[in-house]
Amino acid sequence: MLLEAFIVALVVFLTVGGQELLGFTMLGRPIVIGPLLGLLLGDIQTGLLIGAALETIFMGVINIGGASSAEPGLATALATAFAINMHAGVEVAIPIAIPLGIIGLQIKTLLYVAVVGPFAVKFDKLAENGDSQGIAKLHFGLWGLQWFIYSLIPFFAILFGSKATQRVLEQIPEVIVHGLSIAGNLLSAVGMAMLLKILWDKKVGVYYFLGFILIAYFKTPLIAVAVLALIIAIVTASRDIDLKKIKQQLTSVPTAQNASQKTAAELEVDEFFK
Amino acid sequence: MTQHINTHTPTEKTLLKQLYWRSFTLYAAVTPSKQGASGFSYAMQPFLDVFYKGDEKKRKDAMVRQMSYFNTNIAMYPFILGVVASMEKENSEKDDFNSESINGIKTSLMGPLAGIGDSVFWGVLRTLSAGIAVSLAQAGNVFAPIVFLALFNLPVQWLRFKGGELGYTLGSNYISNLYENGLINILTKAASIVGLAMVGAMTSQMVVLDIKWNMVMDGEVVMNIQEMLDQIFVGLIPLSITLFSFYLLKKKQISINYLIVGIIILGIMLSVLGIA
Repeated sequence: MLLEAFIVALVVFLTVGGQELLGFTMLGRPIVIGPLLGLLLGDIQTGLLIGAALETIFMGVINIGGASSAEPGLATALATAFAINMHAGVEVAIPIAIPLGIIGLQIKTLLYVAVVGPFAVKFDKLAENGDSQGIAKLHFGLWGLQWFIYSLIPFFAILFGSKATQRVLEQIPEVIVHGLSIAGNLLSAVGMAMLLKILWDKKVGVYYFLGFILIAYFKTPLIAVAVLALIIAIVTASRDIDLKKIKQQLTSVPTAQNASQKTAAELEVDEFFK
Repeated sequence: MTQHINTHTPTEKTLLKQLYWRSFTLYAAVTPSKQGASGFSYAMQPFLDVFYKGDEKKRKDAMVRQMSYFNTNIAMYPFILGVVASMEKENSEKDDFNSESINGIKTSLMGPLAGIGDSVFWGVLRTLSAGIAVSLAQAGNVFAPIVFLALFNLPVQWLRFKGGELGYTLGSNYISNLYENGLINILTKAASIVGLAMVGAMTSQMVVLDIKWNMVMDGEVVMNIQEMLDQIFVGLIPLSITLFSFYLLKKKQISINYLIVGIIILGIMLSVLGIA
């Protein structure tokens, strides 16, 4: 169990922590962590399934610039480890992982406020002294410190939590397990709702339903929906640009004419109607 | 535009490369009070070291100036760095340059650019990449994560690489034009169309509920509820659940965690009652 705990902690450190160092390159998303951890723990297919399921649930969660619900990376890492090591099954592992992800976010926030936060003053002082090396050292040092502490959570969760979790899992009656798998399929609705909140606009909202029926009725592959939507977007954008040009021409005509030209224009109009 | 870029000196070209690499670490040490201040300062440092060489006082002033609150979308971030770097250069060359305007421009850029970046890259591009990768993963394709990372990062890294150069070349004067001619709005609208269609498609594909409960009379199924629902509209219940969740999030400002717990309870209830 020690080795597994170490692997899970290392993956969390390198992906969830790594993406903060590497400009949110999305390394810490469920669809990456699930298969990666699956590969390392010897069951890539389970990793893929968990990654796919949690990616859909957490699709709308963006851990920047505002409140979010859970830290998807930790949730995925623990769900994958539970599912593979304890044969918990994808359906059961996911609802267990979500609360752990919520705790993960609380701890992440705590680290951000209590561990990194106080160093803001230190940064200011280093800048005043012109100590650019000091700034760089502190900048990277805080990154390492913060994510090292964070990756201790999955380490101890796997090391000590596995047996207890397994015992609890065995006690769950079949009807609840089935309920959890129904919930697992419905939870994607939350991810979709969060995305809708970001993207919804009355003028273009109707395209949401176009995407829906293309799959529900026509069984179109997802890539085809994307290309179709892209074509619509290009057509719409070029029409908008034309409209904008026309609008500019309409508004620029009267301002271009000064008083003396106005009479000339009026004469032209008179001539036109003759 | 390309002509301008070619006129950069070798030192400037090196600086712009450093800008790209250093800009990755914006959020390495985020603090609640100043967000990515240390990351911005770290990325700006090579420029300050070159521009204010030999004037320690001005260099320190600039360092303090760059250690200010900063928060934006990471895809748009190098562009802002480029603009700010071009202003620092002007400040180092002209005595009458108002150095306060640097932070003014920096602050006025980060909000709107974060808005566009978040909806175009986080909202649309990431959804698109993740949607395609998820359908690959569900089919057991092990390349799903690689496809996801490539689809998302190729456009973002291209923009990040070009953005720094562009911002540095254009400087601060140019940006206001971009807003005034309304191109930004057209781009955002077009991107939203793609994003919404993808979200709709994924709703249909991934939000699943099969009603097993049938109306039975004398041991015979007289009405298959799922079939009946499908005749009305395929995916009616999953769509309703999604739209209701959206309504709760948007209009009622309900927390996502309550929504998740609510759906887990709903799933268990449906199972206990034998409906699904």
